[in-house]
Amino acid sequence: MLFRINPSSGVPIYLQLMEQVKHAIETGALQTGDQLPGIRPLSEEMVMNPNTVAKAYRELAHEGVIELRHGAGAFVAANARADRVADKLRAAQPLVAGTVDKLRARGLSEEEIRRLFEAELAAPRKGGRRA
Amino acid sequence: MLWYKSWLETRWRFIIGMALVLCSAAGTVITYPHIQQLIALTPTMDFSGPLGKEIREGIELARTFRGFVWSNWYHQNLPHLATLFAILLGTAGLLSESRGALFTLSLPVSRNRLLGVRAAAGLGELFVLTFVPSFLIPLFAPAIGESYSITSVIVHGLCAFIAASVFFAFALWLSTIWSDLWRPLLVALGVALVSPLAGFSKVISGETWFRSGQLPWGGLLASAAISAVLYSLAARNLTRRDF
Amino acid sequence: MHEPMAELIVETSELRKSYDGVEALRGLDLQLPAGSICGFLGKNGAGKTTTIKILLGLAHPTSGVARVFGSAIDASARQRIGFVSEEKDLYGYMTVDDMIRFTAAFFPRWRADLQQRYVRKFDLPLMRKVKELSRGTRTKLALLLAFCRGAELLIFDEPTSGLDPAMANDVLQAIIGHVANEAMTVFFSSHQIAEVDQIADRVVIIDRGRSIVAGTLDDLREKFCRIEIVFGGEAPAVTFRAPGVLRTKRMGRVISVFSNAGADDIAAEASALGAVSVDVMPVTLKEIFLESVSEEE
Repeated sequence: MLFRINPSSGVPIYLQLMEQVKHAIETGALQTGDQLPGIRPLSEEMVMNPNTVAKAYRELAHEGVIELRHGAGAFVAANARADRVADKLRAAQPLVAGTVDKLRARGLSEEEIRRLFEAELAAPRKGGRRA
Repeated sequence: MLWYKSWLETRWRFIIGMALVLCSAAGTVITYPHIQQLIALTPTMDFSGPLGKEIREGIELARTFRGFVWSNWYHQNLPHLATLFAILLGTAGLLSESRGALFTLSLPVSRNRLLGVRAAAGLGELFVLTFVPSFLIPLFAPAIGESYSITSVIVHGLCAFIAASVFFAFALWLSTIWSDLWRPLLVALGVALVSPLAGFSKVISGETWFRSGQLPWGGLLASAAISAVLYSLAARNLTRRDF
Repeated sequence: MHEPMAELIVETSELRKSYDGVEALRGLDLQLPAGSICGFLGKNGAGKTTTIKILLGLAHPTSGVARVFGSAIDASARQRIGFVSEEKDLYGYMTVDDMIRFTAAFFPRWRADLQQRYVRKFDLPLMRKVKELSRGTRTKLALLLAFCRGAELLIFDEPTSGLDPAMANDVLQAIIGHVANEAMTVFFSSHQIAEVDQIADRVVIIDRGRSIVAGTLDDLREKFCRIEIVFGGEAPAVTFRAPGVLRTKRMGRVISVFSNAGADDIAAEASALGAVSVDVMPVTLKEIFLESVSEEE
């Protein structure tokens, strides 16, 4: 099955499941309109508390990633992928802000910082690791 | 289903006991002609002292079939076997189950009922064991040219059962005190060995019936009363116990 | 619409139990609402099995109250409870089929449909004697006997103890599978914190005969946290006045605080003391357990 959780990782399990669903949408394993597994069968397959699955689905619906159709089940929402991208950008922004601050603190000018970023992005990939 | 479980737990003791008692009862009839021949050889021997008195009495009794059946079977073999198996059946049970006790106790059954079924099943087996095999005696007697009164079989059977069941209750009670197999067994056997001192053997052998046609009412009532007290003590122990 | 208060399936109040002068339970308070899966964690000898035995009527409390389904624990309460003991207590001399038929006879609400399903799913050898079964198979049989009796409360004492990881997963999966499809409350004791994390929605941690942590896992994750406070110089030797501080460790410039009442008050105090940075980190159930239970007796 698509989803895996690690009960010992310290990250709440419902968050792990949410990440897994989002990742599946990201990679195209789940596409717009696809139905997600039912709460009961999924909780049994993953050996998880059904309430935890329900909570993950609720949060995903709240974020607009999935739609809960009453009586029919959970389905991947139309703009889920777009929202996912927006999420990623939002999450990345503080990283960038932090790095830029640090470089400024070292005395680099804005022009120098921009050139460093461009050089980094243009350089050949090291190690071939997917981002 | 509790009855079935009790049966599964006691059936071998019961079956072996039945086999022994049946053989012993049949043996009483079969050996009688042989004993008669031996007795014919003794009138000239002199017996003195208390042991001699007993032997002489035994011989006197054995001159008749009825006397022999009493002195050999109802006074000796049957009481021994009945008491032994009463104790063995009484100690088979709940607490000597090393596994399964927690399962039984977690069933929706009260502890009183658990004890009640075990006691009733055991008593049923004891009854069959003490009462039924003796019927072989009037059954086989004609084969050696003798006869035996059915009434006597019934009366002696009841006396033997009621008296032996005191030891059943005693063993049952002991098994609610100690959860191992050996202590209740050994203590009960020990008490059984000294019980003739308390007049127990007169009741279990139905001696007064044999000698004068009187039922040993006092002894039977006392047996029933003692059993009842022991059962209620056992029930109280079982109800209070932590597992 | 007004939601009725969840019925308390299990409730204990000031529960005490002494064995031969040793106090196994010292005033245990427990509340278990209907429909929850509650993990019961504690060190060896903390009182888990004693509590479970009292809830089933296998042992009698020395003082205090224990109630199941709102009333005293007796034979009729056990009609609605399924139990699997730590040793998977069953009758060795009976066959699997015998055990099923024996147990079914006590429960008028026995679910023959579930019986068929589980015999097939667990692949139980009906004609084999219980004493010949492996521990894993015996556990599955014990689960079947607990699941099929139409009970509303399931109590398991260390359901996966002694099982290899694959079999343990099977057992947990069977429990979830059953609970997902039937209205059920589950109370299980365990040594495996990961498995409690996985399947429980409530946790009770017992230590030296008392409940020291209790609540839903979500609650606990909100309330318990670790706060790393960094100072410019040597960290001050300060005792935080905020409530909920369980443990404070000073290491050079850093003070690490373990709290069970959220981080806000402590963070405010830390800032007032001139901390350079205050980091609030989530904690795992394992950390909650380790920080909450006592050290050596």
